[in-house]
This record gives sequence, structure tokens and C-alpha cells, in this order.
Amino acid sequence: MLWIAVHLPQLSLESFAATLDDATRARPLALIDAHRITQVDARAAAAGVRSGAKRATALALAADLVLGQADALRDALALQTVGHAALAFTPMVCIESTDSAGTSTPVVLLEVQSSLRCFGGLHALIEGLHHALQPLQHVCRIATAPTALGAALLARWRDDLVHGAHSTDLAALRRLLDGAPVWLLGPGREHWEALQGMGLRQLSDLRHLPRAGLARRFGTALLADLDRARGDAPDPREPIELPPRFEQRIELFTRADTAEQMMAGARVLIERLLAWARARHARVAAFTLHMHHEARRQRAVDASELTIGLAEPSADAAHLQSLLAERLARTPLAAPALELSLRCDRWVQAAAPNAELFPTRGSEREGLTRLIERLQARLGADGVQRLALQDDHRPERATAWRPADAALLPEGGAMPASEAAMRLTAREPAPALSPRIAAAPQRPLWLLNEPQPLPERASRPWLDGVPLQLLAGPERIESGWWDGALAARDYFIARADDGALVWVFRARLPLTATDGTGWFLQGRFA
Amino acid sequence: MYSILVDLSLVLVERPSSGHDTAVEPTLDSSPASAALKACGPSPTAEQLHRSWPRVGVMQPIVPGVWRAHQLDREKRSSVTATGFATLDTELPGGGWPHRVLTELLLPHLGLGELRLLVPALARIAGTGADDMPAVGRSVMLFDPPAALCGWALAQLGVDAQQMLVVYGRDGARAAAHRRHLLPSADLLWALEQALKSGHVGAVLAWLPARVKADALRRLQLAAQAQDGPVFLFRDVDARVKPSAAPLRLLLQGAGVDRLSVRVLKRRGPPLQRPLLLALPPVLSERLRARADAMAATSARSSVAVS
Repeated sequence: MLWIAVHLPQLSLESFAATLDDATRARPLALIDAHRITQVDARAAAAGVRSGAKRATALALAADLVLGQADALRDALALQTVGHAALAFTPMVCIESTDSAGTSTPVVLLEVQSSLRCFGGLHALIEGLHHALQPLQHVCRIATAPTALGAALLARWRDDLVHGAHSTDLAALRRLLDGAPVWLLGPGREHWEALQGMGLRQLSDLRHLPRAGLARRFGTALLADLDRARGDAPDPREPIELPPRFEQRIELFTRADTAEQMMAGARVLIERLLAWARARHARVAAFTLHMHHEARRQRAVDASELTIGLAEPSADAAHLQSLLAERLARTPLAAPALELSLRCDRWVQAAAPNAELFPTRGSEREGLTRLIERLQARLGADGVQRLALQDDHRPERATAWRPADAALLPEGGAMPASEAAMRLTAREPAPALSPRIAAAPQRPLWLLNEPQPLPERASRPWLDGVPLQLLAGPERIESGWWDGALAARDYFIARADDGALVWVFRARLPLTATDGTGWFLQGRFA
Repeated sequence: MYSILVDLSLVLVERPSSGHDTAVEPTLDSSPASAALKACGPSPTAEQLHRSWPRVGVMQPIVPGVWRAHQLDREKRSSVTATGFATLDTELPGGGWPHRVLTELLLPHLGLGELRLLVPALARIAGTGADDMPAVGRSVMLFDPPAALCGWALAQLGVDAQQMLVVYGRDGARAAAHRRHLLPSADLLWALEQALKSGHVGAVLAWLPARVKADALRRLQLAAQAQDGPVFLFRDVDARVKPSAAPLRLLLQGAGVDRLSVRVLKRRGPPLQRPLLLALPPVLSERLRARADAMAATSARSSVAVS
């Protein structure tokens, strides 16, 4: 058994910082409880604020200090996220938010003996753990030991070591623990003064005393902890369970009026969502952001929601954040928001496709999918459209324009570096043109959305003050009797000034079209 | 980036060689669609290009990285797409539409034949694989086109209609068709920049309104460096007198049925004095075209006689 313990000494402060927006996060932060400072961050400590100081003192030392209150629920959620991030490495993850004495020193424990081979050794696993925890922006101290409690003690004790205290076998752990101070153990803290008076400062001192005497004086809890830490007594732990759905709330420190402030809170929620998704080995396909407004009697709506769906499920934080940012920038907000909550609607339990070094057909298609998603997030679903050929003679119905569905891209091509590579990677030519299209006479490249009526003089249509010369035609198109839009037209190819060719028609039906001259411009041969 | 060293000590400009002077009439180069794609062939070699240009003394050979101002800029073969028109290929630096830079096409009005000019290059990029052309199958994005594209026409000319993507601004297709805006919308420029920077698009065609700021064009030019394909900007003829960051600018004018007159306003190389006359993929048959030209000639003569 090999346990890794991740100690988060500043969890409360960091979970408070998560509710702030970017500008406020850059100021010194401190937690306050009953007018006394309890925790300070690095910037406030540099300004001279210490824990235990009074509020007035702290504000005098650092004028732009931001003071907040510790919230147990908020801390528990942040700790749960770290647990989810750890679940990606091993199924056996335990969370200890307090030690046996009840003081709050949150530690996340992972049992990794069975995962060592998969991740390529302990060092690689620890590096991967650092990398996974880095976006959550928590300060971590990592230690390893063969017993759970031993690892937790080492992680809490050796804050000074950069890489943490690591012991892979029991003898090394016992040697390390012999030098540990007595106040590390919970019961040791309660009886600290008595122990100090007796000259018992380290755990080795405790070990040399008779067990019966120790138990009688200080209770069995002290001995039990010592035994569990040294591996002399079993220490069964309950692993945490991954919730089947993801839905989390975050309450913002100040109400969010602009999209920027919303994004600061939403980023934290997206990181939590991705930690949960990675623990499931899944990728996110759709999520919804709810913005809860202040409760007012007149307001009809309590919360506005924003649903983002992805064509290609992804677990990439930057991509999800950019999609959400684009949609937020486009959505008008009914009222400032106080709370944000994120819910994952759809996820896909599948491994991500391999990323390729050189651009290939697959990676280019994926890149194009992401580009279309980004453009549609800002311009709306109708902003990007795709052509679909229809088997219909009426020119306005022959080409259908549909909003591009990024998921249904046709098989794109590779990016060949040379002519030879191009021949190697060429796909089979598309099936031959439908015979109707191939047999039809030449159609113009530009088609006007609505036909433009043309004046007629001397039995010739005029366009922009110039008579058109009819060159080819008439081509009669009669079509559409089945859906009520019957069109019977004679199409001509005409020459305008300077040689440009246009496509005009004379309408025979519907009869209302002949109220005017009956000549219309339909397209241009570009 | 090239470091331009103009070697003044070696400048002995001779008379231009005979190749260009004798051709008083612009020569026609008829290339219907499928034959044009076959005629692309290999780009002109350095020998052929330099045979037709003024020679500078005896010290002729090209030093890599040194560009003499009279030479047509040469780019690597893979960073151009052949235009499909042999006369145009010889006049463009590199022998085709350049990649990773903006190409401006200035038109007096819509429907001159500007798309048929680009169709052979687009067929190479997003083609259906006609004849022996390998189908690369990359997508083509159009930004704010003034009218709707006809899928049948594209299919008839050998371009795969499914690879076309059209992007409109937030106002949608209606506003684009009416072209009421004089300034380009911020959405359009943003979308254009995103598409260019992503580098996953095969070719980009954009229609910009009359007034585009110079720094917007400069930004697009910088973004285009990530795009491994040609980028075409369509603008009005009035933009001719305004400076632009695009290294290649062409002025298109109609010159008869199925003909296009191309004047190269700006390119990386010596300026081109005379316009080129290109034969576009034809819409009408030869007989009808001759008849149209004859009718045009008689009407021109009659209007001159009247006035």
C-alpha cells in the first residue's frame, strides 16, 4: 500500500478568492473571524499583517486589504473538487477535512499502489497530480507513506520541503515519524502542555514510554493514532464517491454586472466541471450556466440560463471558456447576478482522440469544427451556413442554405506538403454529378435572393439604364406544381454593358407577376 | 521575411528583351474549365522567368535571400496555387495565387466574371476530383457575399459545393444583400481574423464594404500569415487610390462576353503596364459569343455615329 497525501494549508483563503473577480483577486486577502484575522495570503503577509491581529491593525498596515469570512460549505466544495481531480489517478481517494482533534487541516489521501504501473512510477504520478491540481490554484504539500495517517502527518508537518517528505517503506516512515513533533497528532495537541512539561516533544519519546501508563494518563486515542501512523494497527478508510451528476453553485463576493465579472466566477465552475469529468474519464458535450439574480418582488424571472452545446465533446478548459465568453458577450443580462451555478447536461464517456503532430485530415477537420463553433457562438447559429444541393429545377429552391452543423462536416482533406504526398492522400473523387445537374445548361454563379423586376422599353428589358441583348434562350422552367409555388418562366442569358452576362426571365405564371413588365433579373454569371 | 539588398554597383540595365515588345495585341489564351486544370502543369522555372526580363550585367544568378527590385519575386512551389490561366501565372510572383498573404481584387460592379477567374484555383482546393486532379478537399469560406451562390453552377464548374461555408454578420443575409453598410461590421472583421488565424481553412473569400481602415487591413494581413491558402478580398474600384497592405492587387474590368481584363496594380516585382486579357470558363458557345461581339460592335458604332 502506498498513500499520497495532499495537504492544502490555505484552502479557506483560496475558496474565498474563487468568489472574487480578477481585479479584486490581485489585492491582499485575509480571512477574519470575530474581528481577528485568521488567515492571510502572501501579499498581505508581505505587508505585515499577521494572523491574530485586529481588524483595525490589519487595515492600517494594508489599506486595500480584502476581508472575507470562512465558509465551511464553500471549503467543502473546493475540497471535493480536489478529490475529484485526484480520482482521475486512482479509485481510492479519501478526504480528511479535520484531524482527530477537530482542527481544520484539509488533506486528500490517495492510495496509489495499483496505479503506479499505469502512470509510469511514483514521480510521474506525482508530477501528473501537480499538473492536474494546478488549474485549481491551490497551494499543495504532497507527501507519501505506506500508511494513510503517516502520509497525512508528513504532509501536515513538512511544509518547508519543496517536494515533500516521501517514504516508500515502513522503516523509512518510522524513522521520519520518530522526529515528528507531538502536536501533529490530534490528541497530542490537546495534552500539549502536559506533554511539554514532561519533556515529551517528539513521537520517539512517546514510543519509549510504557503503553499502559500513556493510555491511563492521556487516553487511548493518542496511542491508537500513533499505532495507525506507524503501521502497527489497521486503518480502514472509506473512499469518496463521485456524484452521478454535476451541479455546483458559487456565490460571488460582489454582484456581477458585466460579462467579465461573470466569466471570473464561471471559470472556477468550469474547472470544477472538468475535474469531475476527468474523474469519470468523460468529455463534456453540453452544459448550462444559471445566473441567479437578486430576489426582487417585481422581477418575474429569478435566474437566466445559458446553454452551450458542443459539436465535438471536449475536456479542454480554454475551449469551453472561450465559447462561454463569446455567448456571454452576446447575451443581454436582465439583472446583476449574485450566484452562478453550472450544470452538465450531456457528457460522452469516451477517450479523447489522439492529437497529431503534423496536420492531418482528422486534425484539420477537428480544427474546422472548433472554428465553426466559435463563429456560431458569436454570430448565432445562422451566421455560418452550408450549401446543400437539391434536386429541383426552380433556381431559388435548387440550393438550400442551412446553418452549418459542425458535427456533420464532410470528410475534409489533408494538408499535403508536396505533390507526391497529395497524390498519396487523395481521396476517391466524389460520385459523378447527378445527371440532371450535368445535363442542365450553364447556371449563373450569383443568384439574387429575390428576383429584381426590370423595366421594359422597345420590347427589351433594361438594366441600370442599358438595354440588355438577349443571347441565349428561352429555357422554359415549369416546376413546383406539387407545393403550390408553381413557377413557369422563360429564362434568357443576356449581355449587359461591358460584356457582363446576366440571367433574366420572363414570367408566365404566377399571373400576379405579369402586373409589371414581367421581366425579372435572377442572377449574374460571375 | 526577405532582406532587400539592392546591389547598385551592378545595375547595367539593358533594353528589355524582345519577348514582350512585339506583342502589341494581347494574346488570348483560351482555357475552358477542364483543359485549364490540365494546362496548369509545372510552374515556370527560373530560367523561363528571367529570360523575359531585363538583364542586369553579367552577375545574374539569384542569390537566395537577396531580391533585386527588377526581378519577379519567387516563392516556394508549395506556397502558391496555380490560377489556371497561363498568362496570369507568368505575371504573378511565384506563378500563382500566393498563400499566407492578402490578394485584393477590385471590381466596378458585381458579376463581371470574378468568380470564374477563381474557379480553377478553387477547384484545385475544394474540387470534386475531376479528371486526374487529386481531390484535396479543403473547405472554402466566404464572408458576407453580396448574393447567394448557386450550387448547380459550382458543381458544373468542378467545385465541391459541400465544402463551401458562408459566414454572415449578425444582421444576416438580408443586410448583406442590400449592402447598406459603408463600414465593415466588427463581427465580420473578427470572424475573418479568427478564420485566418485558425489555419484550417483552404481558401478565404471576403467582400468588404467601401471604407475599410488601413489598420484593419494590416491586421488581416498579419492574421493571413497563418493561413496556408489564398485569401481574396473583393473591394470597390474606388479603393484603387487608397493604400493597402495587400501585396497583390488586381483591377478587374469586363472586356466582352466571357472575357476579363485584368490589370495588375501592385505586386512584388516590377510594375506591369498593359492589362491582361483572359478567357474565362465559357458560358456561351463560340457561335453565340461571336454574335454577341458583333452586335456589341455595331451598337458601339451606331452610338458613335449618333453622338
